[in-house]
Amino acid sequence: MAANLKGPVAHHFNNLNQQLTTVRMGMWMFLVTEVLFFGGAFCAYTAYRVWFTSDFEAGSAALNVGIASVNTFLLLTSSLTITLGIRAAYAGNPKGLRNYLLATIILGVAFLGLKGREYQLDYQEGLIPNVSVLTPEAQKVVNERIAKDPGKADEKVYPFNENLAVVLHHEKFKGEPFVAYDPFRVQLFFMFYYSMTGLHVLHMIIGLGLLTWQYILACRGFFDYNARYVYIEAMSLYWHFVDMAWMFLLPLLYLAGPHSASQALEQFKVAIGLASGTH
Amino acid sequence: MTTANSIGTDTPMAIPKLDYTPQMSPEPELTPTEQREKPNYLNWQYGLLSWVLTVDHKRIGLMYLVSVSIFFMFGAIAAGLVRTNLIMPTGAILELDQYNKAFTAHGTIMLFLFLIPVIPGVLGNFLVPMMVGAKDMAFPKLNLMSYYVWAAGALFFVWQLTVGGLDTGWTLYPPYSSKYSHTNVLYAGLGIFITGFSSILTAINIIATVHKMRCPGMTWGRLPLFVWAMYATSVIQILATPVLAVTVVMLAVEKIFGVGIYDPTIGGDPILFQHMFWFYSHPAVYIMILPGMGVINEVLTCFSRKNIFGYKAVAWSSVGIAVVGFLVWGHHMFLAGQGYFLGQVFALLTMLVAVPSAIKVFNWTATLYGGSITFQAPMIFAIGFIILFTIGGVTGLFLGSMGTDIHLHDTYFVIAHFHYTMVGGMMFAWQAGLHFWWPKMTGKMYSDFWSRLAAVVMLVGFALTFLPQFVAGYMGMPRRYPNYPPEFQIYNVLSTAAAYLQGIGFAMPAFYLIGSLFFGKPAGNNPFRATGLEWQTSSPPGPHNFESLPQVYFGPYEYSVPDGLKILNDGSTNGVHSNGSANTDKGAAHGS
Amino acid sequence: MDHDHTHTHAHGAGAEMHSQELVEHEVAPNAKSLTTFAVLAVLALLALFIGFSNLGEWKVVANLLVATVQACILAFFFMDLRQADKLTWLIALSSVFWTFLMFLFILTDQLTRHLGVL
Repeated sequence: MAANLKGPVAHHFNNLNQQLTTVRMGMWMFLVTEVLFFGGAFCAYTAYRVWFTSDFEAGSAALNVGIASVNTFLLLTSSLTITLGIRAAYAGNPKGLRNYLLATIILGVAFLGLKGREYQLDYQEGLIPNVSVLTPEAQKVVNERIAKDPGKADEKVYPFNENLAVVLHHEKFKGEPFVAYDPFRVQLFFMFYYSMTGLHVLHMIIGLGLLTWQYILACRGFFDYNARYVYIEAMSLYWHFVDMAWMFLLPLLYLAGPHSASQALEQFKVAIGLASGTH
Repeated sequence: MTTANSIGTDTPMAIPKLDYTPQMSPEPELTPTEQREKPNYLNWQYGLLSWVLTVDHKRIGLMYLVSVSIFFMFGAIAAGLVRTNLIMPTGAILELDQYNKAFTAHGTIMLFLFLIPVIPGVLGNFLVPMMVGAKDMAFPKLNLMSYYVWAAGALFFVWQLTVGGLDTGWTLYPPYSSKYSHTNVLYAGLGIFITGFSSILTAINIIATVHKMRCPGMTWGRLPLFVWAMYATSVIQILATPVLAVTVVMLAVEKIFGVGIYDPTIGGDPILFQHMFWFYSHPAVYIMILPGMGVINEVLTCFSRKNIFGYKAVAWSSVGIAVVGFLVWGHHMFLAGQGYFLGQVFALLTMLVAVPSAIKVFNWTATLYGGSITFQAPMIFAIGFIILFTIGGVTGLFLGSMGTDIHLHDTYFVIAHFHYTMVGGMMFAWQAGLHFWWPKMTGKMYSDFWSRLAAVVMLVGFALTFLPQFVAGYMGMPRRYPNYPPEFQIYNVLSTAAAYLQGIGFAMPAFYLIGSLFFGKPAGNNPFRATGLEWQTSSPPGPHNFESLPQVYFGPYEYSVPDGLKILNDGSTNGVHSNGSANTDKGAAHGS
Repeated sequence: MDHDHTHTHAHGAGAEMHSQELVEHEVAPNAKSLTTFAVLAVLALLALFIGFSNLGEWKVVANLLVATVQACILAFFFMDLRQADKLTWLIALSSVFWTFLMFLFILTDQLTRHLGVL
């Protein structure tokens, strides 16, 4: 299906085709900067993962892969809805455009909601390096250790390390004991986890803000000139990029360590409050 | 007023007798009355809001000019503090931590708030659309946003420098910057992060404009080499700046959380910071110098009345510098703990990156050979550029080879090297461009005498400032030290004295350029008789640059082809080659 | 590219009302988008399956392979890269290439730093 386009041409362009191709080109160039931006973070991550493989896998084991799995499908579906929105627009269905834009926004907000819940659980589990304090359960473990060996009373206690040990102990991996790891290097992993997912969240918030603005414009009839769909195309390019970044974040951060499907399900139930979780 | 001629129309316009061939039919020269009454981009709209909300690339260029000059002044004051302190071996005027803040301020301001934005922001914005024959940049509103983002980031950054300062050096190396410094690393980093966006947005604009908005007849082979240079610069900006952004973000995370990915106590690697930092910062020096090299092409050809020698070589060498420049960053890290293997790789590639720059220097020299050279201020700056940049580039080879760098790293040799390329090179290229296009931007001509004098004072002052530093560095004086052994004092005193002379030189243009706005003669369309499209419109240009869509027939530097005008005059297309240059040296129809 | 030699542009601020009819690029039918989504979803499930499996050190290789395929499909079909012009391809590929360069040099250092003098 081909579309005939009508729309105002800005004063500095000679014709509509020039304007449309330039807008698309501009967005692609911006995405290059985004690739290099996330690429730098991925490069740093890879550098350390090569050095500290088992520590990074241990850190990954402490992440909530249940939430991450659901989020993956939410984001993937939002990529679909925005694409369908553009198709609907070109097919002459502005209402479809608005509905699909709204669906994309809702899916994105759901993603952010689950992500926020994930960060909250991380906070409750005391897994923020240098910031978290000992959770009650970790405190118990430390006390027991000192009770068994009073000589250790003067040892410096790193809250993150203790909290991590508690979390990993609870994650059952097909009944096998977990391999040895250096908790400090797991702190390094967690810095990547927070930085990279945090940057991703930031990009999603900006994307959702822009999508909302475009939705409002659509409701106001801005896109009645169908040549202006190019701006939604540009927006979709950005949104697809955000999805692409997640496609790489998921395996590198979440699936690095040992996980199981049942564990993922259990974690997701904890996230939405259907299960109490062990802490 | 007649519109521009196009080939084949019945009424040939009266083209003035020219000693060069403009790229398109020149618009007729206006009488002074007509010039006064014709609206130009400066006076067609009045009021603060028309400037604050302008999307005109020319007005945005002027806004950059004013802001960049102010920040240059701050950077120069910081340099004055540093040099004055170094008169005495025990430090003359600054405490130890104040000295750290002074050289950091000098470095960061000069790099991020002057050298990187100046030519892209001022000349790039003003000229690239005109040089390709467009009415504006591809994304005018984005252009304005780019300016405001830059200004906001710059103001925020300078504010952080004043309320507590930054003492890490412009390179922000952890763990000092992340763990031990008590200065505003986090917020200063944020300021740099914000200005980086401006770099990216300007670059996107320039690339889109060059690809999509060239006027009819403006093929890639007819683009002025300034545009090629700006294009290559923009490619670097897009690919390199995000890496600096993510590096600074990771540093900020470390400041906020207290631990981070460069923190050795949790297994982090400060050398990784250096890798990621220099992945941007080495291409950044090419962001700084390439636009300057682009300006030199324009100035040299005009003031030697000669076509550029080796257009393709110069054009592709810009691209070559852009690409190979990404592969050499490790030469900043030979002594940092980088592995030997990679060090050798980087040393080899560094030797390679010198080649495109050398190609340019040879082509410029060949351009000068046999030309009719006149020494107005832009030309003095340009020739000074060639000499000084060559010295700077050649001394870089000593630093790029791992063996000699062991002796020279972190000494004043390095400082002299990069000042020769950045100031002797880029700064003077900027001055050349500013002086060359000032009549076009403002419509006024400045004093020939004072501009030539200022050029000489600047060049002599500059050269004498940094020549002793080569010697001091080779003899072992370390950089960033507020105190030094007494045997180096003579070099420091010489350097500081010349620095003051240099400062006087830099201050001089402020007087005669601003003075020209009030007392200068009207410049006319083309005071230097140059061939580019921007010179075929009025000075200052009208709000939409050209009266009608330009049609380009010739290459950018047809200084030796006056008979090409016959084609414009009598409408015949005989002898016009496919690349648009007129048929001259083949001894054919025109018998020149 | 169509243009008009003698067209003079008015000096008005803001957009002019050039209403032009032209034929745009082909817009894919909905079925294609849904099929692409289905493929991507299956690949995501595959990635999870690999993540939950016992492949050991090959897990990350397999996962990255799946992610790369997903990214290509997303780019070709959802981001319209398949029907884009050469310039867009150049822009997209150069971003990948430059990221690859960054990885190449930095990882080389991380892996060879302790090798000593060669």
